[in-house]
Amino acid sequence: MIKASAIWRLAAVVLAMGLCSAAQAEDVTITVWSHEADEAAKVALREQAAKNLEKSHPGVHVKITWYEKDGLNTALRTALPAGQGPDIFYVEPDQVEYITNGYIIPLDSLVDWKNIYDWARQVWTHDGKTYALPEEAYTNELYYNRDMLAKLGAKLPDTAQFTQDAFLDLVKKARDAGMTPIAQGVGDRPYPGAYVIGEALLRKLGLEDYGKLLNGKLSFEDPRVVEVFTWVKELVDAGAYPKNFMTLKLGESHHYFYQKPGSLMFPMGSFYTGRAFVPVDKGGQAQDFPIGIMQFPAMDKAACNECKTVAVGASFAINAASKHQDLAAAYLNELATPEMGKRWIETVYLQTAVKTGPTEFTGPYAGYFKELMERQKGAKYFTGMPVDILTGQCKDTFVQVMNKAFPGGLMSVDEAVKTMNQGCYKKG
Amino acid sequence: MVPASGEGSRGASRAAIAAFLVPALVIYAGFTFYPVLRTFYNSVHLFKGRNVEEFVGARNFLDILTQDPVFWKAVGNTATFTIVGTVADVLGGLLLALCLFTGTSLSRAMRVIWFTPVLMSYVVVGIIWVWLYDYDWGLINVLLRWIGLGTFEQSWLGDPHTALWAVLVTHLWKWLGFNMIVCLAALHALPGEVLGAAELDNCGWLAKLVYIIIPMLWPTLINLLVLSFIGKMMLFDLVWIMTGGGPLWSTETVSTYVYKRAFDWNTFDLGYPSAIAVLWSAMIVLFVALMTRLLRSRDRLEF
Repeated sequence: MIKASAIWRLAAVVLAMGLCSAAQAEDVTITVWSHEADEAAKVALREQAAKNLEKSHPGVHVKITWYEKDGLNTALRTALPAGQGPDIFYVEPDQVEYITNGYIIPLDSLVDWKNIYDWARQVWTHDGKTYALPEEAYTNELYYNRDMLAKLGAKLPDTAQFTQDAFLDLVKKARDAGMTPIAQGVGDRPYPGAYVIGEALLRKLGLEDYGKLLNGKLSFEDPRVVEVFTWVKELVDAGAYPKNFMTLKLGESHHYFYQKPGSLMFPMGSFYTGRAFVPVDKGGQAQDFPIGIMQFPAMDKAACNECKTVAVGASFAINAASKHQDLAAAYLNELATPEMGKRWIETVYLQTAVKTGPTEFTGPYAGYFKELMERQKGAKYFTGMPVDILTGQCKDTFVQVMNKAFPGGLMSVDEAVKTMNQGCYKKG
Repeated sequence: MVPASGEGSRGASRAAIAAFLVPALVIYAGFTFYPVLRTFYNSVHLFKGRNVEEFVGARNFLDILTQDPVFWKAVGNTATFTIVGTVADVLGGLLLALCLFTGTSLSRAMRVIWFTPVLMSYVVVGIIWVWLYDYDWGLINVLLRWIGLGTFEQSWLGDPHTALWAVLVTHLWKWLGFNMIVCLAALHALPGEVLGAAELDNCGWLAKLVYIIIPMLWPTLINLLVLSFIGKMMLFDLVWIMTGGGPLWSTETVSTYVYKRAFDWNTFDLGYPSAIAVLWSAMIVLFVALMTRLLRSRDRLEF
């Protein structure tokens, strides 16, 4: 009798376990691999999107694994060729290899694109198909310290844009006054050293020819390009950059600008806020730091002095090997709602590719955002940073020459132009 | 009488041998043998993603040897670093060991101080030295300014003329202690009677060093030379942390170039970087064999 009841109890347990596992089998877990583990506001947003999806899709779970960029890329390079990896992963526009190798799928029919700005969608459009959902957007800006500018007796023109000669004078004045004119370092990034020269080339050449230059269809020996290189060389020779330019890291250059020792100007993407708008004890700028934004200088005989670079940063793509592509797309749609876009601006303090409608800026950074938006008025945008567009040997040459050696004062104009041409220009 | 086999025999059964060997062999096959074979396979293919590959024969090798100036720049840097670094490493280690062997005061403390960098990771060492070399606030330039030699201040890692040497100094700082400890152990193992006899014969310290100590240390020194040589031919982490191969490829080594070609060139094609790796491995094997043959003492020392 005891034996029989034990058997019944055992059977009941087995049955319960079976039912349990059947219920679990219906559950689906969407996996996401994301960069930016150290940016609390972005982490919170993506976690919120996961919660929203779980709420609207009972039985669906979202598991986000947070990485730093190098770790993420290495993990993806191993997982994707093996047909594995997460359902969704973080990508940036320069990572075209995921598209050319077929590791991510077109999202045209999966994602609700009405919430995404067209220009941002274009960044991820290749051969008529869109491969990733852009989340973060930024523009290249020239930040400056208002107090230092006033100390030099200089006044920002109404257009917020110095001429190239006035800018060179400003650099010389700052150096003479013992200030570092431009805080910039290339110790750990492949692009900051090229902000000034890149924006100058864009203005001088205009949207079309600048695109041609980056695509190897315009020679670096073009006289207009040489003129820009010559002007930048004058800036470099005037001591525009700090002496530790070659080893200064991105985070350190922020610190250099708004804390110690301080500099007059700081060219940076508008993602500047990610490092600057945090408490001072975490490396941020002081609340009363006199930050201003000016336009990059106007070039003589320029094709487009109102041009500036806009770029997409953080984006998300769906793994071609994912078994839950529809649900993965649903997660992307959760990231791209106007509410999430608004929350992005309010918490990340940065532009976004998600349409948000009119947003009321309040709080301590309201003035900053007002000025940032002011600097966008009448702008014609070139989409994409050079490092997003260049590939292979050309990209390596750009990193070594235009990002480092030339602004670092290690090359003459002729050497720089010749080396860039060898690496990038496709004759004929 | 020793039983031939069976219970109580000292010889293990084949099954027992297999049971002990198989796990190690499986790990070796999976993590060493297969990757090596796969690298050879990759080196003669072009990978187009999603498991599409094309056999290209020797094309990757030909491109490397005939059309890739950065590869040759990396070879030059690696060769310079290896030759100078290997000699300096072993010679420096030997000199430090001789210093301590003579029983100088504070030798115990010096041993700890010189050996400590060996225990630190390349990442930590690299970061420390990047700070030391910083133009504005780095200790080296600060000291130069302080002693009135400010004209010699440099962007040590930012100038193509000094960057490779700056990395080399860092590498020496990290590894001198290791060579010192090995040499010191070998010095302490030298037979006292030979050194004592030399002293009785009024042999001076230099003659004792050249004719007695170094010949007796020679096998140890060869081992250190070969190990140091191999390590430097494969140098990656320190360069990656300190300069990333720049400025202007002046610190690019073959290993950093392989990494860049594999992971920084917006391609999943592992064929070309694998071909560089195969080529470079062959060079290392060749040079190590040559070195061992040239440096090996024909006469065995007996004492």
